[in-house]
Amino acid sequence: MNSLLLPDLFILLQGFTVLGIDLFSRKREPVVTFQLTWSGLLFNFILLLCLPYDRTVVFFGTYQVSGLALLFKQIFVISAFFTVLLSRYYFTEKGNFRGPMRAMGEFYGIVLFCTFGMFTVVSATGLLTLFIGMELATIPLYVLSAFRKGDDLSAEASTKFIVMGALSTGILLFGYSFIYGAVGSLRFVNILAFATQYPLHPLLFLGLLFIFAAIGFKLTLFPFHMWAPDVYEGAPTPVTAFISVSSKATAIAFLIVLLYGPLAPLHPRLQYLILLLAGATMTVGNLGALKQKNLCRFMAYSSIAQAGYILLALAGQAEMGRASIIYYLLIYAAANYATFFIISIVSQKRTEEFASLRGLGKQSPTLAAILLLSMFSLAGIPPLAGFIGKFMLFASAAQEGYYFMVIFAALNSTVSLYYYLLLIKEAYILQPTAGPMVFEVSFVQQSSLAILTVFMILLGLVPMISTKILLIVQ
Amino acid sequence: MDGSTLLTSIWLLPFLTGMLIVPVGRANHQLIKKISLTGSGFNLVLIIWLTLLFAARVSLAETGVDTRYTVLYFTLNVPWFSMLNIAYNIGVDGISVLMLLLTGIVIFCGVLASWELKEQAKEFFILLNVLVGGVYGVFVSFDLFTLFLFYEVAVLPMYLLIGIWGTGDKEYSAMKLTLMLVAGSALIFAGILAMYYESGIASFDILKLSRIRFPESLQVWGFPALFIGFGLLGGLFPFHTWSPDGHASAPTAVSMLHAGVLMKLGGYGCLRVAMYLMPEGAQMWVEFFLVLVTINIVYGAFGAIRQTDLKYITAYSSVSHCGLVLFGLLAMTYVGLKGAVLQMVSHGLMTALFFALIGMIYSRTRTRQIHEMGGLMKVMPFLSVAFVIAGLTGLGLPGLSGFVAEATIFIGSFANANPINRICTVLAVLSIVISAVYIIRSANFAINGPLNEKFNALSDATLVEKLPIAILVFLICGMGILPGWIINLVNSAIEPIVNNVTR
Repeated sequence: MNSLLLPDLFILLQGFTVLGIDLFSRKREPVVTFQLTWSGLLFNFILLLCLPYDRTVVFFGTYQVSGLALLFKQIFVISAFFTVLLSRYYFTEKGNFRGPMRAMGEFYGIVLFCTFGMFTVVSATGLLTLFIGMELATIPLYVLSAFRKGDDLSAEASTKFIVMGALSTGILLFGYSFIYGAVGSLRFVNILAFATQYPLHPLLFLGLLFIFAAIGFKLTLFPFHMWAPDVYEGAPTPVTAFISVSSKATAIAFLIVLLYGPLAPLHPRLQYLILLLAGATMTVGNLGALKQKNLCRFMAYSSIAQAGYILLALAGQAEMGRASIIYYLLIYAAANYATFFIISIVSQKRTEEFASLRGLGKQSPTLAAILLLSMFSLAGIPPLAGFIGKFMLFASAAQEGYYFMVIFAALNSTVSLYYYLLLIKEAYILQPTAGPMVFEVSFVQQSSLAILTVFMILLGLVPMISTKILLIVQ
Repeated sequence: MDGSTLLTSIWLLPFLTGMLIVPVGRANHQLIKKISLTGSGFNLVLIIWLTLLFAARVSLAETGVDTRYTVLYFTLNVPWFSMLNIAYNIGVDGISVLMLLLTGIVIFCGVLASWELKEQAKEFFILLNVLVGGVYGVFVSFDLFTLFLFYEVAVLPMYLLIGIWGTGDKEYSAMKLTLMLVAGSALIFAGILAMYYESGIASFDILKLSRIRFPESLQVWGFPALFIGFGLLGGLFPFHTWSPDGHASAPTAVSMLHAGVLMKLGGYGCLRVAMYLMPEGAQMWVEFFLVLVTINIVYGAFGAIRQTDLKYITAYSSVSHCGLVLFGLLAMTYVGLKGAVLQMVSHGLMTALFFALIGMIYSRTRTRQIHEMGGLMKVMPFLSVAFVIAGLTGLGLPGLSGFVAEATIFIGSFANANPINRICTVLAVLSIVISAVYIIRSANFAINGPLNEKFNALSDATLVEKLPIAILVFLICGMGILPGWIINLVNSAIEPIVNNVTR
């Protein structure tokens, strides 16, 4: 047994343990399960850091662990970690204006299983494993988004999510069938051999097109992005954060596994499709965000636009494209979680509308400052991490010579600055309508926000991490 | 302390000052202001020290220097993000030193001029320091990435500074200014990346890139992208519309810094990045931009005539005067470039003086409409005299800094034998007459004439207010009478640029 498999086994075991404790403990008190979940995830992260990144090991011919996979697993674990921390206080009595939630043990367990599904996606050696991983990563999200059982919005969100998700699964399988029809195998090795021999085979293209459409749903690419705002609004805030980071990272990982693995010979001919989708997605996301009044819907459109930027780097052939995507995902996760922490704190007393932020700059300057930093990071303003991250994403598109696409994306990011500034305007410039509000910021929230803030600043200034990612990807 | 450490501390100090303010209590305005003043004062001392060091080094190296390539002093080159060969690459030449000096003076005066600020002083001074740190950073960076990074750092705090502490339609102005400038940086961004990949050396180093002749297919779109991108901040017509609104809404210190220094970042970028690195592109586009810039100069002056708000008048005159900077650059001659650099300094000092005065006058009269004022000379002689001096600088009176700069620009531009250059020069010279109209008109309405009864009880400037005004007036006169010391400083820096531009 190789140590490279440990994180995957550990998270699976952890999921069962948490679920078991929750099942057999009589009080169903979430403290034990919470402690177990976050400490386990932290341990898993440290474990991931200690593993060797320079080799690829295949287990049982179906499950492989490479440096790239480990990098993605880090992102998934970080994301799950902050989701758990975010949900701890949010679901209590005073945590949000909609009231408390029970059965938190199940919640943590489902998050862990979902993360295991994501692990599987990046470890696949065949289309079958890839499919199973994707489903394992998606189905728990349906449950999570409906977690507030009495809430109509939550139920609506989940229903939409299920219908759309099921449709995309169908399309994905349909795409698979073409590839299987052409190659006669689902294993990456065989597909790669076939694609190298016939890089222009129409069935492969057709299959890939359907796969793109299916993943487009998960990645909220235009024109498959419509579900996102409703789901983001309806789902509980921690789940929204989880969907916006983990689910997106999984979809990107899925594309990277395919496009730089078995279907790599087709990749040069897909560049225009990728650029087109990227351009359309960022434009639609940015234009959609302009008119939003609800913070979660706003974050949905913002994350659609971000998906567009990320996709832009996928057009790059060289390693830098992939390295910059992973780097950016880390940065994006930090900024997104910081924002969702603020949203969840504000929703203790007020609704999740823009106007709830009014007066934040005067009443809680620290919270407002962190909001400012995360907005600037998402908009790509130096010296925050978002700047260098976006710079590298766009640079990998420029490397292929698509300078006009870079101008287009950069102008798009100017549009995005407008709505990020709107949030800052609410927090700092506009006068509050309601009286002063005192927010209770628990220790967990304080420390998470502190970690995320340090992350947002350091990732932009310290070059080690990006260098390391590039080395591993190479 | 050696030169490169000095350079690093110059841009780092404002950030540290900003951080030092963070733990101070919100109500303790005096302490916050004192920290800011000490920080900017100490920085000014450092910059003066740097200037002296630099002057000594230049006079030593004067003989036998290879003028084909830019020679940097106090350089430091440390690799940063190796993924893209980004380096922390700093150094100075004469132009940078001069710009640092200008920034140091303006921010020192700016802090003094905002001594009376009451509301949320803590955030204000933190942001002001961040902004200044960004400006310093641009002037010392010789790596395109770091330059761009600092450029953005300098632009963004503007949104909050105008949005929170501004007057009038501040939210609109702040948003307009920020978005237009960031749209400009989108163009710069693409230009920088294109140079990085097309150069074949995968480097952001300005000096290395300056020795490369980029393919014409790149320069033909790269030059206008960079020139418009930076020119946007320099008030280039027709992208200048953020400037009047932004300057009029901004609080005093921010107007001073923005018109005085930030708009110079635009001119500096046009010179250092657009023209220096893409000279062939500049040759292709020079006539087009020359026409735009001439419109800039004349239109800005006419715009100022139409205005009745003192800040709008100054803002439009800034558009006109910053147009002169770009005009000098586009002359593509040695004298023209020198004029442009002189104009950056002269306009920086003049407009800082203008905005400081307007802020002080406004804090007393509570109006900026020139028709509602009148006879201010009787109640506030100090401010009024300084205002007239600033005005006379604007219309280019000999003996003041404006004359030196404008005369050099026009001579330099006329020296270029291209007929379009000559025609544009003649047209641009006419702007001086128009400037005289709006300056004398506003001085007449606001300063002279019968005193408005309302203003009988008003007092003249306090000591804290007199200090920045005195410094700026002194420097304007000094530069007008003895321009030689500045010209000596920049001579060595301009020659290699001209050689590159006309290669």
